[in-house]
Amino acid sequence: MTPHDNPKARRSGGSSRRGVLGVVGAGLGIGGLGGWYHLGPNESGQRAIVCVAKAARYDAALSDVIARGLRELGVSDAEVRGKSVLLKPNLVEPFRGHAHINTHPLVVRAAAEVFLRLGAARVLVGEGPGHRMDTLLVLEESGLADVLHEDRIPFHDLNSDSLWTMPNKGRLTTLSTLSFPAVLHGVDLIVSLPKMKTHHWTGVTLSMKNMFGVMPGEVYGWPKNVLHYENIFRSILDICATLPPQLAIVDGIVGMDGDGPIMGDPKAAGVIVMGRNAPAVDATCCRIMGIDPARIGYLAYASGRLGTIRESNIRQVGEAIAALRTDFRLLDVIPAHRGLRLRKN
Amino acid sequence: MTVYPALRPRASAVCFHKEGAPTTTTDYRSQHAIGAAWKALYENGLPDGGFGLRPGGEFRPDSTAWAIIAMAAGFGEDKVAPACGRLCQAQQADGRVPLFPSHPDVVWPTALAAIAWALARERTKELARACDFLVAHSERRTAVDPSGPVSHAQAARGWPWVLNSYSWVFPTGSALLALNLAGHSGHVRASEAVDVLLERQLRGGGWNYGNAESFGQALRPFPDTTGLALSALAGHATAAAVARSLDYLEGEACRVRTPWTLGWALLGLSSWDKRPQSADDWIDKSLDRQQRLGSYDTNALAVLLTASAARRGLRGRAPEGRP
Repeated sequence: MTPHDNPKARRSGGSSRRGVLGVVGAGLGIGGLGGWYHLGPNESGQRAIVCVAKAARYDAALSDVIARGLRELGVSDAEVRGKSVLLKPNLVEPFRGHAHINTHPLVVRAAAEVFLRLGAARVLVGEGPGHRMDTLLVLEESGLADVLHEDRIPFHDLNSDSLWTMPNKGRLTTLSTLSFPAVLHGVDLIVSLPKMKTHHWTGVTLSMKNMFGVMPGEVYGWPKNVLHYENIFRSILDICATLPPQLAIVDGIVGMDGDGPIMGDPKAAGVIVMGRNAPAVDATCCRIMGIDPARIGYLAYASGRLGTIRESNIRQVGEAIAALRTDFRLLDVIPAHRGLRLRKN
Repeated sequence: MTVYPALRPRASAVCFHKEGAPTTTTDYRSQHAIGAAWKALYENGLPDGGFGLRPGGEFRPDSTAWAIIAMAAGFGEDKVAPACGRLCQAQQADGRVPLFPSHPDVVWPTALAAIAWALARERTKELARACDFLVAHSERRTAVDPSGPVSHAQAARGWPWVLNSYSWVFPTGSALLALNLAGHSGHVRASEAVDVLLERQLRGGGWNYGNAESFGQALRPFPDTTGLALSALAGHATAAAVARSLDYLEGEACRVRTPWTLGWALLGLSSWDKRPQSADDWIDKSLDRQQRLGSYDTNALAVLLTASAARRGLRGRAPEGRP
């Protein structure tokens, strides 16, 4: 929701790859930058498994749904036992009576239960709300405070932690380093736990865009304006290249369509989508939402670099996408929504 | 490039109303809760005079500034001078006070430091340098796409969180508050800040982080930034110009109990002589909620304690010819 078209950043990019990306790449302006992206995409070794599970309601046995999904993905006790797990929900801006803005607290609870059942040494929840400075208020108004209090799950405000600064592995933005909250340095698994939503800058916001929320507001502003200013697509890619989530669990039980990520309408999709590879998970979500992932700039660019979005490279387990597809409303008035609709086979 | 007039040294324009906080609380329980809150705040103090965000934390200029603001409003005067001194050590030669030395562009604590020094009536040289930095720096604009979700007309320049980025309500409001308290409320940058804030005011009243509309839909206000904006605009804007925001904030203050937001809501209302009668009870309830939410950090606690003590809010002297 902030100006992200930095003319200087755009000028620094060449146009050679814009042709490859077509319309969706126009906002990215990639080229002439350092990092590994300039090597170009390589889809040959990219394979991913994504699990789509039905979940019609939040009062369903969500921990069983998530546990089954993780088993399908091959996540074993041995992989989790003794580990520190950070769950990163999307809590951008709560508002009373608008539960469809944020990851539902019962999804967070269910995920925490599953990782504890798998033997995690500790499970913590962390978020740096993108719009609001009062994180306690965000917890209260989103309903997450009740769950955390009842289940004694620790929470970390990622907007105000000491810093852990890393070289920017993507280098699509002009930022040579990225500063993360230090708590992320001490965890073994980062699980992106987004809401399934349309987005008026990026088309969709899913597990990759959700990683914006780990960037501390006190360094990048409220909203995370430095990153918007650098170009939102490039920033998503840089963050996910530097600190990729190891798992993604998307709350698509009730998502948001229209003018997301805040002002849109509730959209029941009745799914939880899980996977180890964020681009593949997000591409699968897009297909469920009736959106062509190849037309989402950062997903198209991530494919072959951070994972894959190609249907032929993704082994789908659980429910069939075609049976669950429910088109999320796209608005003509929003430039980022134009031309995103996935053609029906 | 716009060249802004340099600041001239001014006599302190601080008009800060100290009330001796606990004497006005209604019962022993409130006094006890407020006393415990002050104790908790002091426990976040460091041996060098500065404050960390949490007990055992490292020095932070924002936390130190908030603690000074609270102490200048209420108690702990013996701790004000050492804290101001420690805050000076974080100031760089050009006047900025970055959040971390490793991140010199993260300059938003500069306004907080200026507010703290002004309210404490300490460190006039450092205060002047901080104000010089504030008036010399502003947002970096980009062309806003008229078909995008940002609604700003961008007639005036505000302040960004981080150098070379866009302006938002909190950094602009806190910079205006700093200029007000330092006696520069008549400066052209203060006038521009007023314009920016009024432009970002939501149609139905209140402010959020700083964008009023998205594709024709009015966005939703936040009570904390509304309280800050109203605090900064006191003495600049007419009551009519902010009437809806005051109405909104009066409604929210009854409801919110987290320390940061309640503190700013009360400061905003108090700046316009609308401090709710139940304010002390609400502060008490907010402090009670630590049993559920955990101990509050320095910044949130300090804002709440400032609201407890500063019963007329954070006010500067109005420039001549202004309301």
